[in-house]
Amino acid sequence: MMAFVATMLGSFTTPMRIGTNPASVLWLLPLVVSISVVYKATKVYKVRLWPFARESAVLFGSIVVFIVMAAVILYGITWIVTEQLPVLLNRSTF
Amino acid sequence: MAQSWKDNHALFLISTGALAWLVPGAGHFALNEKSRGLVIFVSIVLTFLVGIYVGSVGVIDPVHARPWYAAQIMNSPLVMVLGRIGATGNYRVFGRANEIGQIYTSIAGLLNLLCIVNAVYMAHLRHVGEAQA
Repeated sequence: MMAFVATMLGSFTTPMRIGTNPASVLWLLPLVVSISVVYKATKVYKVRLWPFARESAVLFGSIVVFIVMAAVILYGITWIVTEQLPVLLNRSTF
Repeated sequence: MAQSWKDNHALFLISTGALAWLVPGAGHFALNEKSRGLVIFVSIVLTFLVGIYVGSVGVIDPVHARPWYAAQIMNSPLVMVLGRIGATGNYRVFGRANEIGQIYTSIAGLLNLLCIVNAVYMAHLRHVGEAQA
């Protein structure tokens, strides 16, 4: 039992290995779930399982969709500035 | 006859806020909103623990990451104990794990701040409603 507790506590003293790759962006999903659940817990009149789960899921979906839209718009702006403008101006951006 | 603590409005609000800060969700629990308090407790504690698990206890660093610490302390005053461990510098952490750990623990703290304000507001509404009844 003590060994289990020591192992548990020890796991909180060493950071995880997380690469700087696009997959690491997926770490935002659990955080968005938490934000949706807590925000809705402060907003709904009465916490009942299914209505509450549905409201949280809708908020989760809205946040994710908005983040994806922002990412697509930013990617588009970057693409225009780095790929299209230099061709139009006939010279490198940098 | 001595006043009950619920009769003293300011004391009632302060104690509800303090309880909500001490243990996430406890403020709502004290207001008899048990399921709401449980949801808040599980969500915030889980988010905070995931943050510490990802980045290690070193993400709570009152010396080198003071702005993040200001948000992390909103989770509970017990974070100060972890801050003392992080302040020793023995668990410094860098890179993506540090970023994600700090973001998770800080967002958990800010969510708890939202819940503290909500618990105090609910306590105020309840007190006003009882006074008018």
